[in-house]
Amino acid sequence: MKRIENRYALAFVYLLLTGYALFSVIPFFWTTIQSFKTPRQANSRAPLFIFEPTADNYTDLWLKAIPDDPMLVVIILVAIFGLLVLVAINAKRFPVAPGIVYVAVLALGFYVLLQIPEFVKTQTFYDYFLNTIIVTAGAICISISIGCLAGYGLARYSGIAGVFILVAALGFRSLPGMSYILPYWWFGQRSGLYDTHILLIITLVAINQPFTIWMLRSFFMNIPKEIEESAMVDGANRLTAFISVIIPIMWPGIISTALFTLLLAYSDFLLVRILTQSNWTLTVAISKYAGGEDPGHITLGAAAAVSAAVPIIIVVFIFQGQLVKGLTSGAVKG
Amino acid sequence: MHRRTFFAFMSPSLLVMLTLMVFPLATSVWLSMQYMTFRNINEPEFVGLANYFAVFDDQKFWAAFVFTMTYIAIAVPLQIFTGFLIAVLLDQVSRRIRGIYIAAFLMPFIVVPVVGTLMVKQLFESGGIIAWAYRTIVGSRFILTEQSVKSLIIIHALWAATPFPLIVFFAGLQTLPDELVEASMIDGATRMRQVRHIMIPHLRSLFVFVGLISIMDSYRVFDSVFVLTEQNPIYKAEVMMLYTFRTAMSVQRLGKANAMSVITVVMILVVLVPFLLRTYKEQTEER
Repeated sequence: MKRIENRYALAFVYLLLTGYALFSVIPFFWTTIQSFKTPRQANSRAPLFIFEPTADNYTDLWLKAIPDDPMLVVIILVAIFGLLVLVAINAKRFPVAPGIVYVAVLALGFYVLLQIPEFVKTQTFYDYFLNTIIVTAGAICISISIGCLAGYGLARYSGIAGVFILVAALGFRSLPGMSYILPYWWFGQRSGLYDTHILLIITLVAINQPFTIWMLRSFFMNIPKEIEESAMVDGANRLTAFISVIIPIMWPGIISTALFTLLLAYSDFLLVRILTQSNWTLTVAISKYAGGEDPGHITLGAAAAVSAAVPIIIVVFIFQGQLVKGLTSGAVKG
Repeated sequence: MHRRTFFAFMSPSLLVMLTLMVFPLATSVWLSMQYMTFRNINEPEFVGLANYFAVFDDQKFWAAFVFTMTYIAIAVPLQIFTGFLIAVLLDQVSRRIRGIYIAAFLMPFIVVPVVGTLMVKQLFESGGIIAWAYRTIVGSRFILTEQSVKSLIIIHALWAATPFPLIVFFAGLQTLPDELVEASMIDGATRMRQVRHIMIPHLRSLFVFVGLISIMDSYRVFDSVFVLTEQNPIYKAEVMMLYTFRTAMSVQRLGKANAMSVITVVMILVVLVPFLLRTYKEQTEER
């Protein structure tokens, strides 16, 4: 479209855009600053921008006691994770399939995270962090595997049943989570699954399934039918053709959908809040810092909010291309 | 693809949705006719429609309903207007700078709702930057009252939910054919008229799509209100989901809470069914 040429008008456009951008980022900026202050500095009468930063809020939040040799622990962890990232980046140079390398790296990384409490005295906040990883990873794996089968079926089947399932799924997706979660709570109480990871995982899979199948279906629709048909002429049955021919070219779509499943599972508050008593995820755990009379709650709450935001920002930063693609594909939110 | 192969591919997903979406909804209807607290989970007592009558007689339920509707009526137009305005302005800026702006605009969308709410709340805490600005300008301390909590909820809604319409409209504007705009320029159309007569008609279906999703999302708003009000009913800022939650988990009237959620489902379906029928028709024609 033809651009504005009037200099003053253009300046006004930039002014509005920058103002709105500031409005979007100021809460992050301010919370991060607050998280590096002492409670006294955070409560100062005029906002303080120049001060001596302290990491106490983060150590209080994550650790019960600072290890004897903090630098040694940091160096070892940086070395281990640096090595894993290096292996992941160079996955294509290994003699095995890159997929296997990625899975091995993720599994090893998770194993290291699980072992950390053996060496360092961590707070319960760290347990919530581990819970979050277990629940989101479990939800993504199950959700994507069954969602891929369904999405592929829906993209290729032309019968009326397919349309019916899609529209029904859209309807289910639009209902508030509360209408499923209260019955889940009751099932959980009666079956003894209340407060377990497994209940969280299967219910998160179910709640996100309508969205997952809609999004994956739209990606499968973009893959021409001829591709699997030629494989089937060569004698493969549909399932083998699907696994060996379609899935390898579907990776971008699968990653995009997985990213949205991750965002949804990571951010779910109501479901986790109702279905758990102590096995919280980060999202529920940090709401604990929302209020209180103790002046320390501001800085500790800021550190908790930043700690919960950083992992998701890292993931989004790595996969930003897929996020924008998914957002603009129109399939978002069913 | 044959019918049988389709159902074979579909079966795991279908099983999950039937057992964990259809069945719970039916259970919710059944639970809504029981008297149940945390003590008698295993032997609920059948009370028929008594819970529904209790809900309709409940002043707090209607207060929550009214506040939810007010919230939708203010927040949704505000989000759509701001999103559209920023998208049109962003379209005027050169490609290189856009990326930085988009990254900034998407921040509230990426960060999870509870975290975002806590971050917004930080600005208004004692020692927070907006609390300080408020004290400097108004002269008194910023305190949470019924009015200020409600405005805080709306400000947060604008902050957190505008990125979605913004990005959708911006993507829609990229598909606007250049010739159309250029032709209108030759005919002497002003920018305002271009927006009114070219852009808005071009984005019409997106307005419907975004509007519907924003209304649904606002209807089930929970996280931000939970954090901002700290579940304290003195602010009288309870939305329907929060009141249902409190009835179930704090007051322990599980039957009544289920009745509320059944009523909510029925209300949503009234809005939703015409849209679902349209989608059904579109998809049937498309295949």
